[in-house]
Amino acid sequence: MAFVALEGVGKVFRGRTGTWEAVRDFSLTLEEGEFFCLLGTSGCGKTTVLNMLAGFEAPTSGRILLDGKPVTTPGADRGVVFQGHDSLYDWLTALDNIGFGLRLRGTPKAERRATAERFLHMVGLTGQGAKHPSELSGGMKQRIQIARALANDPRILLMDEPFGALDAMTRAVLQGELSRIWAETRKTVLFITHDIEEAVALATRVGVMKRGPGGTLKAVVPVDLPFPRDRTSDGFMRAFREVHALIHEEIHGGH
Amino acid sequence: MVATSRAATVAGYLAGFALLFLIWHLASVFLVRSVLFPSPWPVFERAFVLIEDRILQEQIVASMRRILQGFLLGSAIGVPIGLAIGSFRPVRLLLEPWTEFFRFIPAVAMITVAVIWFGIGEESKVFLIAYTTIFVVIISTAAGVGAVGRDKIRAAQCLGASRMQIFALVALPATVPYILTGMRVAMANAFVTIVAAELVASNDGLGKMLWDARLFMQVEDIFVALISLGLLGFLTDRIFRLLIRAFAGRFNPTM
Repeated sequence: MAFVALEGVGKVFRGRTGTWEAVRDFSLTLEEGEFFCLLGTSGCGKTTVLNMLAGFEAPTSGRILLDGKPVTTPGADRGVVFQGHDSLYDWLTALDNIGFGLRLRGTPKAERRATAERFLHMVGLTGQGAKHPSELSGGMKQRIQIARALANDPRILLMDEPFGALDAMTRAVLQGELSRIWAETRKTVLFITHDIEEAVALATRVGVMKRGPGGTLKAVVPVDLPFPRDRTSDGFMRAFREVHALIHEEIHGGH
Repeated sequence: MVATSRAATVAGYLAGFALLFLIWHLASVFLVRSVLFPSPWPVFERAFVLIEDRILQEQIVASMRRILQGFLLGSAIGVPIGLAIGSFRPVRLLLEPWTEFFRFIPAVAMITVAVIWFGIGEESKVFLIAYTTIFVVIISTAAGVGAVGRDKIRAAQCLGASRMQIFALVALPATVPYILTGMRVAMANAFVTIVAAELVASNDGLGKMLWDARLFMQVEDIFVALISLGLLGFLTDRIFRLLIRAFAGRFNPTM
């Protein structure tokens, strides 16, 4: 039995201006411990796939299973890192943001604090725990988001273009950090991106989506390269070219 | 740094007030030479006499007590209603017409019914202040609830929060700055209302003092009352800004 299974999932939005088919007949299985990057052009429905797996939106067709059980609502077994940092709680310190999930479960304060400190350290922000989100840079906020999701010990981490709003340098640093954290925790990750290099640098498998509307999975490319990845290596270039060719067809219309 | 900027602020206030009194003095000496427009000195002298006789304090205490009672009552009613309107659609549909209706009937227009219902004692004043406070607080509180970022709520959901936890730990703290801002606006309205109410129907208070002074042509007394109102409003608003800064300013630098 697959760890996560999306079986013929479709999503049609109905609005005042008509209907919009965001995702059509999307099928994918994820194995425990893998880092899967879902790559696609803007408007291909990749974020909708994540939102359905997170339980924020219900599919209009097909079904989604986690450990064989259907996903219907959001739950603590699926941690989410959002693209924007509006999801952090401005009135709490960085440390209290990280410990928020534990607080919801009634974990004793001392234990909560110790766990939060551990994850603060993991994302490289040791000593910054007393700061509030407004005092942190964009990159630091995304680190806090990652720590908050991980501290809650979810079965799978869902990341929706978490580095999309960051400058190129910060993005590269955080990609490296995320790779390291993933290697430490071996958490299953579904990572949404439109950045080919990012996908090839992070993923054990890259799924390329057809362009929207009615986006669906076009191909899955395994990236069997050792971590940490050397972006100038031949293997990296080969994988990059393979994924690039697949995406290129979607941008320039080769249906 | 902080100390110098605070000293500069205080110095700015003092200089500003000094300039105001200087202009007043020059205007009364050179521009409007009339017994109906006294210069600051006789007004200050009169103020000292009124303070020595404890008359001014009594009027201030009477007015401020009414403002405070009505303001706290109005806020205590307005905040929960605003939260309910912002949180539950049926409540909003039901109560929004009320708030949209009553907020266009100014408290000043309600003075007559207040006096008919409650007489010219404390109750009518407290009622009027509460009335003028409630709708401003309701509207800003409801707006605050509506403005809680979607990702903040989603993040809590996938950290395992129940509906109650989302309300108490996410929606409520996120709304606090809006509540306080609404209360600050309501406080300014309360000053308008109390003077009008005391002018029309009261045995004491600054409004009554204004009215009596007009009857007996005690122009200095009128000015003492006006200056007292200005200073009290100024001080109250300062206190509010300090409160807002202490509770909420950390994550909302615009306040």
